[in-house]
Amino acid sequence: MFGYLQIQKSELLVREAEAYKAVYCGLCRQMGKDYSVFTRFTLSYDCTFYAMLLMSLNRSCKGFRDGRCTCNPLKKCKFATDEGDAYSKAAAFSMISAYYKIIDDIQDSKFFKKLLCRIIKPFFSHQRKKAAKKYPDMDKAVADMMKMQYDAEHSDKPSVDMSAHPTALMLATVLAAEAHDEIQKRVLYEFGYHLGRWIYLVDAADDIKKDIESNGFNPFVNKITGEVKLVDFITAVLNQSLARAYDAYNLMNFTDFKGILDNMMLLGFPASQNRVTSKLDTEVNNE
Amino acid sequence: MNNPYEVLGVSETATDEEVKAAYRKLAKKYHPDNYTDSPLADVAEQKMKEINEAYDMINQMRQKGKGTGSTGSSSYNANSSSSQFYNVRIYIQRGLLDQADQILENTAQSMRTAEWHYLKGMIAYRRGWSEQAFSYFTTACNMDPNNTEYRAALNNMQNQRAYNYGGYTQTNPNATGTSFCDVCAGMMCANCLCDCCRMGC
Repeated sequence: MFGYLQIQKSELLVREAEAYKAVYCGLCRQMGKDYSVFTRFTLSYDCTFYAMLLMSLNRSCKGFRDGRCTCNPLKKCKFATDEGDAYSKAAAFSMISAYYKIIDDIQDSKFFKKLLCRIIKPFFSHQRKKAAKKYPDMDKAVADMMKMQYDAEHSDKPSVDMSAHPTALMLATVLAAEAHDEIQKRVLYEFGYHLGRWIYLVDAADDIKKDIESNGFNPFVNKITGEVKLVDFITAVLNQSLARAYDAYNLMNFTDFKGILDNMMLLGFPASQNRVTSKLDTEVNNE
Repeated sequence: MNNPYEVLGVSETATDEEVKAAYRKLAKKYHPDNYTDSPLADVAEQKMKEINEAYDMINQMRQKGKGTGSTGSSSYNANSSSSQFYNVRIYIQRGLLDQADQILENTAQSMRTAEWHYLKGMIAYRRGWSEQAFSYFTTACNMDPNNTEYRAALNNMQNQRAYNYGGYTQTNPNATGTSFCDVCAGMMCANCLCDCCRMGC
């Protein structure tokens, strides 16, 4: 995952912003504990969102406690405490996706980055094994995604839907596994599917210039027919995914962290998307 | 059943107006129109039923016995049995997408009517393959521009694509930035003027 699942901090209440930070710090600490100090650098907003979603779903966050930042002992900070396995799962998810990202980079990158990825690979491989041992289903979902993604990109003229399908399916599977009943499972599946699709497509839109230059695969290249502008097409596709994710989100009755999750769904994610599309707009105009 | 007040998300001390407002807000959220064609339509319908019941119950408890504003259910299942692909529609309704797709794929090229495209679009939509769905719905509407069912499906998707959905508003981040600054600057200028006046007084 790629760091697009952010909050819109300016619109959060102060206590909500603190709670968000406390979850972030809690997850950071957990990663240090479960894996290694160095894995903390792979912590992303996406995994924080995942942890928060799990806590809200299971109502397992039982308040906050004061502590010191584990990276900088001089800094005081709050940690959100969790009775369930939200942190542990999010940390595992972070490790597993970091590992597969490296594998992907080895395949796609140029010489120096490739070399660097090869050097750090054994370390992440070890961490991933630890994570996969705890949550084999999660590892399987991500591994399947990588395989499907490869097949999709190497098939004949993959459509936008086809290219986004593996990521979408992965997140759908991972989230649906958290459901407490059949209905919730369907809702979470739909939510995960469209959110995953959105993440993949935002990332693709973000990389479009790079991919054109390096002749890499990008689902949006050569998709436009007629007089539609590329930016407008991409915006429409992204809106669509987010709208459907939001519909599914509305059917889950969250109470814990609701303000923060609402903020992300309605403001944070669209803001991430706007950053990408407006950058795209200027890029296209400059050419 | 759960506490009806919890279902509506209001406290038991809420006024009638507050209860009504909460009910309306939720009814808008779960309205079937938001979930046309969605695989979660039945879940939304269930939620709608729950809030209708909760609202009725609160009204009864408060001994008003007024009308509830229930919207009824499944008024949007406009399926006609005379349809050429009746069995396909049944399959889609039951969520058996592969079977439905199979029948459509086996249809001869000459039999691929507007409805065929519409149903192909519906299957894609249910699977989450929105771009494919959009293109099938567009074809269906072009082939049969007067059909309200196809038109509704296409409009629904166009709304989603245009961000008119779920309360999103799209603004250019830079644009809002400047306007906020303008407002602030304006306020500060006004404030200075006020200060000047006061000092003058």
